[in-house]
Amino acid sequence: MTLRADHVAGAFFICVGLLIIALSGDLPTGTLSLPGSGFMPKIVAVLTIFFGLVLTLRASESRVFATVAWSDAKHAALVVAITALGAAAYEWLGFLTTNVLLIFTLLVVIERRKLLPAATYSVGIVVVTYVLFVHLLKTPLQTGPFGF
Amino acid sequence: METTLLSLAHGFSVAFEPTNLWYAFLGCLVGTLVGVLPGIGPLAGISILLPVTFGLNATQAIIMLAGIYYGSQYGGSTTSILMRIPGEASSVMTCIDGYAMAKKGRAGAALCIAAVGSWIGGTVGLLVLTLVAPPLATIAVRFGPPEYTALLVLGLIFLAYMSSSSLIRTLLMACLGLLLGMIGIDNMTGHFRYSFDLAELGDGIGIVPVAVGLFGLGEILSTPSAGAVKDIISPRMRELLPTRKEWSDAKMPIARGTLLGFIIGIIPGSAHVISSFLSYAIERRISRHPEQFGKGAVAGVAGPETANNAASTGAFVPLLALGIPTSPITAVLIGALMIHGVSVGPTLVNEHPDVFWGFVASMYVGNIMLLVLNLPLVSVFVSVLRIPYAYLYPMIIMFCIIGVYEVNNSIVDVWIMLIMGVLGYALRKFDFDPAPLVLGLVISPILEQSLRQSLIMSNGNYLIFFSRPISLGLMLVSIGLLVLAAYAFVLHRADWRTKLAEVEAGEKEL
Repeated sequence: MTLRADHVAGAFFICVGLLIIALSGDLPTGTLSLPGSGFMPKIVAVLTIFFGLVLTLRASESRVFATVAWSDAKHAALVVAITALGAAAYEWLGFLTTNVLLIFTLLVVIERRKLLPAATYSVGIVVVTYVLFVHLLKTPLQTGPFGF
Repeated sequence: METTLLSLAHGFSVAFEPTNLWYAFLGCLVGTLVGVLPGIGPLAGISILLPVTFGLNATQAIIMLAGIYYGSQYGGSTTSILMRIPGEASSVMTCIDGYAMAKKGRAGAALCIAAVGSWIGGTVGLLVLTLVAPPLATIAVRFGPPEYTALLVLGLIFLAYMSSSSLIRTLLMACLGLLLGMIGIDNMTGHFRYSFDLAELGDGIGIVPVAVGLFGLGEILSTPSAGAVKDIISPRMRELLPTRKEWSDAKMPIARGTLLGFIIGIIPGSAHVISSFLSYAIERRISRHPEQFGKGAVAGVAGPETANNAASTGAFVPLLALGIPTSPITAVLIGALMIHGVSVGPTLVNEHPDVFWGFVASMYVGNIMLLVLNLPLVSVFVSVLRIPYAYLYPMIIMFCIIGVYEVNNSIVDVWIMLIMGVLGYALRKFDFDPAPLVLGLVISPILEQSLRQSLIMSNGNYLIFFSRPISLGLMLVSIGLLVLAAYAFVLHRADWRTKLAEVEAGEKEL
């Protein structure tokens, strides 16, 4: 049997449905006249499993899984990894430092830009944004150990 | 009628306050830029800029955010006509004949017709909104839990039926959204659900991190920077005026697009996308020269552009009158008003007349601003596209983080955004449209509460939905739609929705 995109997608949704049912174990389902907090999640989880099954059964209409293009996956993974580092540092380093480092890293590591233009752009765009939010729009941004 | 006109006059007095005019202008300007830039649609744009409105009052906030919404519809046409890149989804159809006109040296005329059509569609839509929304809100006050349940079920089924991707895919996305919407404290029993001892999840997952993740970050992850720079045609000012024949060719498509767009806008789903597709299909079907479509037919620009703007206005009817979002964008707008302490629904018109009428009046003003902004400044907007995407997307990521973090000052929301970005990337790979997920997330608490309240009211009898006239009518429409959808699904019949999916995927032209 050829593995198709909808086989994978359908299996994913079936797993999601099963996971929700497993996690709903301690939530009371209640009765029809007094539904509990587990009532609706279980109904929707069962529907998710059902639709996932239908998707899997009709998978022959979808693309072969091997033909799904993943050429942009490396770019995506790098962007996610660098943004995750930025998120981890955000409350610690504050808006200004984190975002200067985030934009600079994205430009240098992923886009292979030269250091000086990347640094100038990163500092410029972050400072302009900071002034716009903090001074013009009066929206306070996260501060770091240096008070900005 | 007299009361409506008096209230509208009051709305204009609110809209013409200098600060409100400024925020309407700002919204229109940013919206046009959001529409022009490929890879950042109105949903991500509104979500990212939500924190900007925290320092404003509710009226100013909704005026600015709505300006971004309808401004993006105007801006989307610019990249479609000049670059054959739809700045946002509803401009897909404009690419076909708009770009063909540009290739023939009629880019300015195409932009002018698109702008005038958008203005007429938006303004006439507003006139109907002004007349329809207040009486509808009066009726909606009588809605109880069974009616709300039936209405929301109808909304979900309509969404699935109208969706350009398959019925099952749409329902799966809606289910995933409903499940995400159940995270947090259960309002009726106080139980914590799926919060994994994270206090931040007690209030549930917010719409902003989900929307920004799926539509902002997800789009960036799916767009490698190497393919983002294209040649740009920049029309001169004197080339903007269409000829008399072009005006004459545009007249009726604009009229039909206005009517069609507004009606479809009221229906849940990605109304502005569907309306532009249907308008194009109708114009081609009734044209005396269908062979000209795809080669620069004026009607192929005038109809879809008018329809998508009229649909954007139509989408505000259920939002303002019933408090029910018909699209993820209107859902974010509801969220924005709730942040400012205004609950949207049938009581909005009476409890917050300044917000309701000020907002309606500001849209009249905003549509004129957009007309004035878009034509003379087209070359300025187009020059934004000359910024290399490699420099643009790091800036968008920064705005995503600000937008998400500032809503609750919570880093957990930023992590949710990141997870949703990865999910959005994966969903695109498997041909899923994430929009129903966001809609499911928003209506989940309302649907669950109204369903459970209905069952408590009827002592567990499901027939309550068929024993009250309004809910009975809504349920019958739902059943009818399900039967129609199942018929096409079981018999594998290709209808207009299949064609729309193919055109959106760029597989074929109409």
